[in-house]
Amino acid sequence: MPTNITLNEDEQDCLQELMNISYGAATAAIAQIIDRFATLNIPKIKTVSSTEFEEYFLKRFNNKSKYYISNQLISGHLCGENMFIMDDTSIYNLSKEFGLEDDEIDEDELKDVMLEISNIISTTTISKLTALIDSSVIFSPPSIKIVEFLDNLEDRYKTEYQHIIIIATDLKFKDQNIYGELIILSKDESILYLKKALNKLLDEY
Amino acid sequence: MKYLVTDDSRMGRKMMIKSLKDLIKEEDEIIEASNGEEAIAQYKEHNPTICFMDLTMPVMDGFEATHGIYQYDNNAKIIIVSADIQETSKSKAKESGALGFINKPINQTNLSKMLSGLGLI
Repeated sequence: MPTNITLNEDEQDCLQELMNISYGAATAAIAQIIDRFATLNIPKIKTVSSTEFEEYFLKRFNNKSKYYISNQLISGHLCGENMFIMDDTSIYNLSKEFGLEDDEIDEDELKDVMLEISNIISTTTISKLTALIDSSVIFSPPSIKIVEFLDNLEDRYKTEYQHIIIIATDLKFKDQNIYGELIILSKDESILYLKKALNKLLDEY
Repeated sequence: MKYLVTDDSRMGRKMMIKSLKDLIKEEDEIIEASNGEEAIAQYKEHNPTICFMDLTMPVMDGFEATHGIYQYDNNAKIIIVSADIQETSKSKAKESGALGFINKPINQTNLSKMLSGLGLI
């Protein structure tokens, strides 16, 4: 991996802090909607190859559950995509928190709740992040997939991404048994843009 | 006066320190800690006038550290500085005895109001 693509320790620390702020705002928005308390974790940041990304992803989501995956393309200075992943128990529990009754909950309803939550989480986080680095992006509408027994990732990840910055943060409502993970994938040109923006910020402080 | 800035992120500490430096006197001292456990140790060693405490940190989080500092010194002055802007976290901060809550990213005006309200600037 060329060294100019990886983030050094300072850049990684800076991005982690910016993500902490951005995801904090997104989590607060969801917590307010369902009137529950979410636990915030320290964001995980890692630059990997697309093969390593597949390994990370399959290791992270390997409990043979049914997963709801939302993908949202991002274009602009930061181009890539957001992936927001929840297992079926979490999305069911979240639907109950949204006030849905058991007889109203079917796969379409769950997909709809996933669409809503991922849209809020992804767009709030990225919008806040880009504002902090004085940039802007355009979002495509998210699409939702239901995946059972994850054992591989689509080939397009290998063709579309040479390196990926995994920026992963958890949505965790412990008492309600609701867990989700947001992963932001960026393309090489975005990683370079991001490095430049992070260094500008580091120079300011 | 001595200021203790606790944040696991170096960038987080730098942002806080930059905002602080614009408001405090040149001779004032700023001490840093990168987690709650270190914050308690630094507090005991330096007895700072005021502590700025992040919440989400490894080793020991900000709530636990706040509790630890108050156990040692009931008159400690602690302000929570966090990206966790949920109302519940703000209430928990109040219950912990913290004197205030500042949202990240730091807003200079809010920080200035907070410090002047405490008679520190």
